[in-house]
Amino acid sequence: MSLAREVYQALEAVVGKRWISEDEFVLAGNRVKTPEVPFTYHSADAIVLPETTEQIQEIVRICNKHGVCFVPLVSGVSAEAFANRPGTVLIQLSRMNKIVEINETDRYAVIEPGVRHVQLYPELRRRGFSYTAAAVGPGGSVLANFTSSSGDHHNQHNASRSNRYLLGAEFVTPEGEIVRTGSLASGAGWFCPDGPGPGLRALMKGYFGNHGQFGIITRIAIALLPCNGPAEIEQEGISPYHKVRMPDPCSKVFVFNYEHIYNVRDAMLKIGEAEIAATVLKYFYLPATLMMTNSADEFWEKWEGGYKEALSMPLVVHLAPRSEAEMEYEEKILLEIVEETGGKRIPREIEQWWDEHMDFFMIVGRLQSVLRLGGGWMPNKLASDSVSHICEVGASVNALLSEFTESGKLFDAPENYQIIPMEYGHFAHIEVLIMWDRTNPAAGRGVGEYRARSRNNDIEKSFHAETPGSLNVSTEQIGPLYCDANVWLRKIKESLDPNNIANPLI
Amino acid sequence: MHYPENMNELREIISSARERGACLVPLSSAAPHIHGGSSNERAETVSFEKMKKIMAINRHDRYVRVEAGVSFAELLPQVKAAGLRLNMPFLPRSGKSVVASALEREGVLLPKYQFDYTDPLLNAGIIYGGGEEMRTGSAAGPIPMEESRADMVSPWGPGTVDYMRFLMGAQGTMGLVGWATLKAEIAPSVSRLFFVEADELEILTSLASELLFRRIPDDCIILNNVSLAAAFTDGGEEESAAAAAAASWTLICRICGYERYGEERLNIYEGYLRDCCREFGARCKNVPGGGETFAEKIDSMLGECDSRETYWKMRRGAVEEILFLAPPSKAAAITKLGIEALKAQSEKDLGIIIQPQVQGRAFRVEFELMHSGDEAVAERVWEAEKSLFAAGAFFDRPYGKLSEFVFSKDSNEVDIMRKMKKLFDPDDILNPGKLCF
Repeated sequence: MSLAREVYQALEAVVGKRWISEDEFVLAGNRVKTPEVPFTYHSADAIVLPETTEQIQEIVRICNKHGVCFVPLVSGVSAEAFANRPGTVLIQLSRMNKIVEINETDRYAVIEPGVRHVQLYPELRRRGFSYTAAAVGPGGSVLANFTSSSGDHHNQHNASRSNRYLLGAEFVTPEGEIVRTGSLASGAGWFCPDGPGPGLRALMKGYFGNHGQFGIITRIAIALLPCNGPAEIEQEGISPYHKVRMPDPCSKVFVFNYEHIYNVRDAMLKIGEAEIAATVLKYFYLPATLMMTNSADEFWEKWEGGYKEALSMPLVVHLAPRSEAEMEYEEKILLEIVEETGGKRIPREIEQWWDEHMDFFMIVGRLQSVLRLGGGWMPNKLASDSVSHICEVGASVNALLSEFTESGKLFDAPENYQIIPMEYGHFAHIEVLIMWDRTNPAAGRGVGEYRARSRNNDIEKSFHAETPGSLNVSTEQIGPLYCDANVWLRKIKESLDPNNIANPLI
Repeated sequence: MHYPENMNELREIISSARERGACLVPLSSAAPHIHGGSSNERAETVSFEKMKKIMAINRHDRYVRVEAGVSFAELLPQVKAAGLRLNMPFLPRSGKSVVASALEREGVLLPKYQFDYTDPLLNAGIIYGGGEEMRTGSAAGPIPMEESRADMVSPWGPGTVDYMRFLMGAQGTMGLVGWATLKAEIAPSVSRLFFVEADELEILTSLASELLFRRIPDDCIILNNVSLAAAFTDGGEEESAAAAAAASWTLICRICGYERYGEERLNIYEGYLRDCCREFGARCKNVPGGGETFAEKIDSMLGECDSRETYWKMRRGAVEEILFLAPPSKAAAITKLGIEALKAQSEKDLGIIIQPQVQGRAFRVEFELMHSGDEAVAERVWEAEKSLFAAGAFFDRPYGKLSEFVFSKDSNEVDIMRKMKKLFDPDDILNPGKLCF
């Protein structure tokens, strides 16, 4: 299907000929990229690349006038960032890639949607700052990670999720009005997300974001964090075979392996209470081994040669204090806690990988290696609560997954989940990562069976281990269990988007 | 007046009000009520004085859950007994509702633990104006609260909306909050209190922002001599003498050590504090201008509520407040402008509290115009507020006619806000006429 000529021409008049296309070869490259995800495939009718907020406003108004749906996207990782029905225009925001402001005194950066982690992180680091860079790899959109995806990252132990650092924002409503939130709306700058009165920041993101369903976010300010360690990072080799070291007396990585997640829980809580360490997380052992290897053969050699056992329940800790005296203090406490909780340091030849890949604690340059085996993959559970409860959820994963791994439907990695504590152990986030052979139809069915079993298991065990997402079929199913989250989403969407054209997933 | 005892009764009160076409305004703190958010001539009052359950104090996972009527005086002793502390406002009145304080985004004393402006509030149980019940964050589901094995502490959602933010700063216009979960922090095993004095406020705001960026102090607050004296004395000559002895501005900060090697942490962090002070040309002392006894009194009162017969801000009889937020780059300059705009107010009756918030990324500034019934004060406040707004002060908690002024500046924002109000309170029965509603 193609757009009516008058619609296409109106859009072309906004962005110019060069920045709109309906060529099949262009549209074909902008479809859902994860074939294992059970979405119906559609090509958009056209793709436009605006450069300014005002252009987005005009595009949205044209879409409203002609009843054309729109979907904003940048990186295109999420299946929800593509056309899901005929009569849709993709609004690709990658041209809007300006770092608008880095305010060193008030400690925020203002960015457009097209700004990538690889662009922002070095700019900030050389000024002595950092931020909550989602563990999605260097190419991810910073704004999308702050507003649409979960945005979780490895360093949440002494920081938090990106949700906590989203400040003022500007967005174009589904009807084409430009709205500014928080202090920005009062002309007081970008520093505060909420008020006057209630915070419209509520619409930007809950646990996840809404993928443009409430409008297109065109600029955000994010709060900056201190950056310990040198401003320039030593790098050797070319990606993906690069090494990133941080030879610094105030940087030390430890990886311990545990027998049981409850011991990991105790360690996380005690480390949190002592307020030491920059990074603490129970990492997935399958992605860890994949990132440590340069080929599928090498992966199998290591996975079956002892890595699976050595990393069965790994607790990764990065100490990054401000002085050598504090390093001594933190290390003493850490080792005492690990002793009390029964952790064992993993073999040095494995632990050393982190010393040589310190980007794990920055923007995770090796992340693409996780998909090396080429199969299907899907995150599952994705929720947060106290460290205690999330570890209780974690304790249930092995039995749940084993049924599917033993029958060969899912990759045999029944402890493949990560738990990241936040705010010195006030909460934790869990993510289970399942992988499977997507050429095997039985495995494809197994994924569906696993997801249903996982959900039922959580309810039977009275867990909070899943969170509704944007307004889609899945949210309509589970929303009633979460205080009618689906009903409220629908009400809000109908109120903001009466023509239901902003990324309608239902 | 309505006195619900639980969420069901709260829902019934709202349903009944809708049927009768009556309006409601929530009231959860004891008098005095300073801002007028909880009074409304057009509405019946829903008092939370019978919702006083302390639902949970959890040392292991560091949180408390309380009903809306629980006051600081009621909660603090139990929190302390559990080895915890609250991230609470500076010396609130004893009858102040813990939940209302957090919902109103009052400044907190431990900005190091404030990752977001919503801290320490995590989630809540609400009955919206339409009668629907919602639990936010991980309390939302998937199973009823009483059956859940979750601690129900996560603040986000349910789903893709951060509903808690619609309730905060809303003055009860969106829904009535029956209970809330708040973060609690481990009580330190050892601590040292320091005072940094200055005549120029900017030195202290810059210093406080940097100290918190590096997360060095736990408690951290800046007071002018009037507020310092009023808060930490019992009035009269003692107050006058303390005000005279104090520097123009005093930054109070506390360094803490926890269970493991607490003294060692104190020594390291005191070193950081002194280094940072040197960088800013300031000097930290163990004793303020008021002397050692005064220091001990401050030490014992910081982190408490004010249980004295007369609330310290009301000692002259009445108080009018100007409340706003400012970023570090502007906090001192805007405060200076406020002092200039309020020069008609006697200096000895003008308290100023400047609280660094969200790990030093903003300051919550409070002008306290203490008086004994001077009718000119309200007009003085109004004129100053307009000047402060023009200078970049962000009035995130506007009350009275300031609301109308603040909301007149962005019609698109107000349109969306009204759409949301219509969803949560379709009959406009909750605290009508407040904010932009």
